[in-house]
Amino acid sequence: MNECDVLVIDDEPVVRDAVRRVLQAHGLRVATADDATSGLSHPALATCRLVLCDLMLPDRSGSEVLREIRQRYPGLPVVVITGYATRDEARRALEAGAVDFLAKPFEAQELMQSVQRALGGGPATQEEGA
Amino acid sequence: MRTRIGLQIVLAVGLVTALSIGLLATVTLRTHRQEMIAQLTRNADLLSETVKRSTEDYMLENRRERLGRQIEAIGRDQRIERVRVFNKQGLIVFSSDTSEVGHALDKQAESCFTCHAQDRPLTKPPVHDRTRIFTTESGRRLLGIVNPIQNQPACTTAACHAHGPDETMLGVLDVTVSLEDVDRQIAASRTRIVGLAIGAVAVSGLLLWLLSRRLVSRPVAALTAGTRRIAAGDLTTTIPATGGYELGELARAFNAMTARLSEAQRQLTQADKLASVGRLAAGVAHEINNPLTGVLSYASLLLERPQIDPELRADLEVIVRETKRCREIVRGLLDFARQTPPRHQPTDLNDVVRRAVTVVMNQLQLRHVALGLDLADDLPAVQADPSQMEQVVVNLLLNAADALGERGGTIRLASRQARLEPRGHEPIRRATCPKGCDLLDAATHVGGLAAIRILREHGGREWAFFLDPVYGRFSHVSTEPCEEGVVAPVTCPKCRVSLVESDSKCERCGASTFAICGPDDEPIRWCTRTGCHFTRWEAREHRGAAPVVEVSVEDNGRGISREHLAKIFEPFFTTKGTRGVGLGLAVTWGIIESHGGMIEVESEKGRGSRFTVRLPLAAAEQARDAA
Repeated sequence: MNECDVLVIDDEPVVRDAVRRVLQAHGLRVATADDATSGLSHPALATCRLVLCDLMLPDRSGSEVLREIRQRYPGLPVVVITGYATRDEARRALEAGAVDFLAKPFEAQELMQSVQRALGGGPATQEEGA
Repeated sequence: MRTRIGLQIVLAVGLVTALSIGLLATVTLRTHRQEMIAQLTRNADLLSETVKRSTEDYMLENRRERLGRQIEAIGRDQRIERVRVFNKQGLIVFSSDTSEVGHALDKQAESCFTCHAQDRPLTKPPVHDRTRIFTTESGRRLLGIVNPIQNQPACTTAACHAHGPDETMLGVLDVTVSLEDVDRQIAASRTRIVGLAIGAVAVSGLLLWLLSRRLVSRPVAALTAGTRRIAAGDLTTTIPATGGYELGELARAFNAMTARLSEAQRQLTQADKLASVGRLAAGVAHEINNPLTGVLSYASLLLERPQIDPELRADLEVIVRETKRCREIVRGLLDFARQTPPRHQPTDLNDVVRRAVTVVMNQLQLRHVALGLDLADDLPAVQADPSQMEQVVVNLLLNAADALGERGGTIRLASRQARLEPRGHEPIRRATCPKGCDLLDAATHVGGLAAIRILREHGGREWAFFLDPVYGRFSHVSTEPCEEGVVAPVTCPKCRVSLVESDSKCERCGASTFAICGPDDEPIRWCTRTGCHFTRWEAREHRGAAPVVEVSVEDNGRGISREHLAKIFEPFFTTKGTRGVGLGLAVTWGIIESHGGMIEVESEKGRGSRFTVRLPLAAAEQARDAA
């Protein structure tokens, strides 16, 4: 039924593509957006099961995106991605309602662990996919 | 703008001096003149008395011709202007000037006025009232004195019977003398005194000018020049503390102010540098982490493929490992910029050392560096962040390789367990005064650690003094040259409370001691005598040597000069020119500090350096050690 499992919002093409490749390799359907505005107006937002969102976007900050998603889709988990590997950053994101925090750069395994925790499932996604 | 204060002082003081000396000269001249005239009056009176006596006989005998000749003879004396005798009716009976004999004088005339001012004439007024000073038509100044000739029994009984017995006054003897001599003397005195006064004013003015130049103008000019240099941004400026007490004091205060300003500016610059590093690191982290995410994700994704060529797998593992190292470096930079606390866990430093060696091995071989490993067996675990400690060892190894230069050399990397005597090693990480003011000065480092700032005083001076923050070491830094062997009491620079202890004496020289409150409020004391190497941290000595794990990196390279040794842990200090940014050892230092450990450098120019890192044991190991 779902056309996509994960919406990735990141302005950096290489990050967007890498995340998509890893997630697709693990059988997830992925949609992408390159800034906050297109992310928040993306049709996939209404149907996806998880949002991965960079904290630094060109038009609006990731925390604003996070807040708006929490308001509009309270049940939709959000994992934030950032280049700032500090605890403060993580704490603020988690306080704002993110389910997890991914510090760039990350390995495929680290990404998948975080995504699977957020989706609340074990390897179920693996079966759903191709 | 030239300083005019000296000129103003000279003018003001000169004016007052000139006025006083002028007043003094005027008063002196007037007194002198009065004395001269009094003297002349006395002389004239004496003269007139003498004339009266010497002519008495002629009068009694009524020998008028002889009397007239006598008076003429007396009148020829140069000092005497005129001698004349009036009878009671004002008729000139005798005179040295014979032409006026027989003329009458009005009783209101000046020579008669004194006695005849009242209706009933005075018979013998005091000498002062009988004297008059007047000027002739020809402009000569004269002094006249009248002497009344009184009736005597002999006059009424004389053969001539000229005067009746009921008369009291028979006539008046009038003697006039010239004031020329007196006036000349007074004029001479005036010239002398005015000359002296002008001389005194000139000399005192000159003296004042010289003094003001030395005591006021020059110090003020130095101050002005100093402020101008500071305004131009030269905060190293000091001015000589010469001049009068207040000006000397001002100069010292000025120098102290400049030193504080310079220190404040240094701190600001340092803070600014650190803030720049923070911004730079954040920017770099953001930019570099994006490409690294691509590399790391794709490489690790490839490694997940089950049927992968083993050779390819090894290469991919290198890519993943090295990318993760990049990640750690970026995070280290961020940690340095943001002082993030390390993620402590019990760590085997030998593992850390081995991992660090694999990281740099290729580089060392390329640079012809032989690495000698001497790792102790059964090394107890330390409380540390393994990746941060790995960064420390990598930094130290790369620095050692740099010190060896192009021809290469040998690096010895060793680990061992040691017991560290507190004396000479233990950093004092907390220092307060009895009232709780923090004495650690993060802006001033002694031997790489925040120094303990105190105030010392001796001989009326007070200056900041930085105690070496390593217990038992004496590389203190004094902000002013400080004589050795003098007892200089110590106060808190913030609340001014005295740190001197009343009940404790130095065990070396017997002088009084001062103490600060160290960690857990344990007192740490030093001797108040400058240059005396006494210190005691009773509680720490009682606990004895602490078990630590040491890792040392030793090279036989070019070594570090003494002046560089003091700065090598400062951010942005580098001797590598454009090849270094000067952050490696600063990051290393920050990591070891946040581990509660210490790093020590020994170096000899031309013979090599040894860096020793010491970390405390993990809690469990400490308990085992204590048991």
